[in-house]
Amino acid sequence: MAQMWITMGPQHPMTHGLWTLRVKVDGETVIDTEAELGYIHRGVEKICEARDFTQVTPYCDRLCYVSAMTWANSYIYAAEDLLEADVPERAEYIRLISAELQRLASHLMWLGAFGPDIGNLTLMTWCMRDREMFLDLLQELGGSRMHYNYPRIGGVKRDIPIGFADRMIAKVKLFEKRIEEYEMMLDESTIWLVRLQGVGYCNAEEMVEAGVSGPNVRAAGVNYDVRWAHPYSVYDEVDWEPAVEKPTSVKGADCYDRYRVRIEEMRQSCRMVLDAIEKIPGGKNTNYASGDEMIYTKAPTRAPEGATGFSNYECTRGASQFYIEGGGEGRGKKPYRLSIRSPMFITIPFVAKTMIGYKVADIPAIMGSFDPCIGETDR
Amino acid sequence: MADTGENFAAFNSRALVEMVGGVTDEALKVTKIKQFLSVLAGRFFNWAGRKSLFTLHLGIKCCAIEMAAAATPRFDGDRFGVLFRSSPRQSDVLLVNGPISKKFADKIVRLWEQMPEPKYCIAMGECAISGGPYFQSYNILEGVDTVIPVDVYIPGCPPRPEALIDGFGLLREKIIRIGGAPSSGRDSEKPIIVGDE
Amino acid sequence: MGMKITLEQNAAAVTECADAINDKFSGSGISADIVQHSNAKKYSFVRVVTPPQHWQALAKCMKFDMGVNYCSMITGTHYPEGPDERGWGLAYHLLRQPISNQLPDTSTVYVAEKMLGSQIPVEFEVLIDLPNNDAPSVPTVQHIWVGADWNEKETWDLVGIQFEGHENMFRVLNPLDSPDGFHPLQKQHKIRYHDYNEMYDDAQGFVRKPADEGRVK
Repeated sequence: MAQMWITMGPQHPMTHGLWTLRVKVDGETVIDTEAELGYIHRGVEKICEARDFTQVTPYCDRLCYVSAMTWANSYIYAAEDLLEADVPERAEYIRLISAELQRLASHLMWLGAFGPDIGNLTLMTWCMRDREMFLDLLQELGGSRMHYNYPRIGGVKRDIPIGFADRMIAKVKLFEKRIEEYEMMLDESTIWLVRLQGVGYCNAEEMVEAGVSGPNVRAAGVNYDVRWAHPYSVYDEVDWEPAVEKPTSVKGADCYDRYRVRIEEMRQSCRMVLDAIEKIPGGKNTNYASGDEMIYTKAPTRAPEGATGFSNYECTRGASQFYIEGGGEGRGKKPYRLSIRSPMFITIPFVAKTMIGYKVADIPAIMGSFDPCIGETDR
Repeated sequence: MADTGENFAAFNSRALVEMVGGVTDEALKVTKIKQFLSVLAGRFFNWAGRKSLFTLHLGIKCCAIEMAAAATPRFDGDRFGVLFRSSPRQSDVLLVNGPISKKFADKIVRLWEQMPEPKYCIAMGECAISGGPYFQSYNILEGVDTVIPVDVYIPGCPPRPEALIDGFGLLREKIIRIGGAPSSGRDSEKPIIVGDE
Repeated sequence: MGMKITLEQNAAAVTECADAINDKFSGSGISADIVQHSNAKKYSFVRVVTPPQHWQALAKCMKFDMGVNYCSMITGTHYPEGPDERGWGLAYHLLRQPISNQLPDTSTVYVAEKMLGSQIPVEFEVLIDLPNNDAPSVPTVQHIWVGADWNEKETWDLVGIQFEGHENMFRVLNPLDSPDGFHPLQKQHKIRYHDYNEMYDDAQGFVRKPADEGRVK
């Protein structure tokens, strides 16, 4: 049969971002792939060498734009390690609530983009409609729909507004019923099941060897989550369980498992948020002024040469890490080197190799089920 | 019938069209009807096309999420005729929604050249207007208008979906105002900046 | 309640790993310390300092004897003003994760507080200093950890540190036709408008320079 290379080029509705996937096909079967990244490489690591530590936070929002709050939090923990800042407990609760709300919004965006790949256009409208609910809540906290610039080194910028707790509880409870509607539509749909089950097997050890983390690995049956393995916020005081999915075959998890693990994660995030808002110290209906010691501790602004900071954080798509070396320009006011570890940078070449052996029509299903976000890949 | 291979029975239709067309063309030019007809046709196509702006499905960075949000039930760009097409050959509007890196510069020019006339370009977000927060980067161009002519600028980082729909509205007004073939009026028309009244 | 690895488990695991490395490699320039984070819950990690020639042996020991299965980040830094023996620095961040393949329809849910011994997750940081010359190079660990593959390509692309023995090196983030020797994160390359003096004529940044009169950007 005819063998040829097909370029699924930078502008392609499947790719969810700008990257090229070149596939070598023999008829309909994929026999080799090559991934090419770097179309939106902005040199953030170099730009941040000329920014103060507080000025770096908006850049981290824009790394993975779909889940901006988790990346900003990830950088803030690394900066707190470098500058040795303390964080009050109420601020940690607020960070947990904002990160979990962002995780809900991000998984909904994923589902809303994944559905049309499989052919289910209803999902796009349903998921984006529900995502607007959480974007409204995050807008109350941060001021903008997508790039909030909300956490600060030593706390958060603003306290939760009065009435936020009631609005959030109402919306989250409504959303828990909506998850059941999604499952009703998808788990009984033959097309959905046929296109996702049996496609894209990856087993846990290969994935971890390659550096894949997060829900993609939890879909293969192994419960590893940075939130309990290297604990950072108040996750141990909040009622939750890591979402883990049993793999369907000895070859590992297929696309259907990865979809189920994210639905389960959405349920756990709802549970976490409802529990955290009840347990928040200082009460859920009080609003402290900005800069109050309940939500913010003034942190040092200079880092001496030789100091380093590292953070390991569970972002929506995997484990994101920041490594900052101090002693930069301005006698230590700016970082000397800021290094960002993106989970998707490793996952995309790995997934490109997993596609070998499947049909061309399976490519969007496999790629979409790993939830790529190119903003964090080409930083 | 001659046996030189020429067919006299039916006039060669292409030669007929050329001859008749040439005569008609001269006649219309003299009476200035041709100019009048082309302006009328241009205005008619503009009137018809402004309410159905097919946008290329290109999502570069964060503003693409707001572009997608503008197509969803809350903001609903589809009621304004804004539909997303996957191929540049079938789209009218190139909505640039992110920073253009050196690697992508020649590809976006290629996409622009693949689009058929009449075509318009909207620069959405700070990164497409001037490089945005990455204006100091070694890899990002300072705005997409260094490589493509832009009609409407929509500031914001990211601009809200309402701002994007407002930008499409201003593009519609611009299309009606240009008249004739759009690319002929492009040099004399200043680009519009949303929020600048 | 959410579960977590406790401070005692973390301290025990970290001490065990550091002692194992120190015992095995004592006297060859490799030293392992226990360092405490200052953020979050103040957990500890193992920091290993090694000269470049022993890196591959150390990596093999960490992977096969200690079960470090995850190479997650490689950071290269350029120190042009540093001492002669530290012109370039590499920091590898590796993790030990207790992950194993599952039989179909089974899953492993750990009870974090009951994990013991080599099951406890540990963070490692390996620091390598390279001398101050124009061609820094370090042996590759591409065949030891799969995750190091694209990380090494990125480090070479952005910083310029060569990895000896790395197959199929190509530019992953910069354009493929970038000039040879262009590695933007080296300190002699400045970002555009690095000194705001270049762009503006006054201190506040309102007035452009006379040569740029009328320019919008």
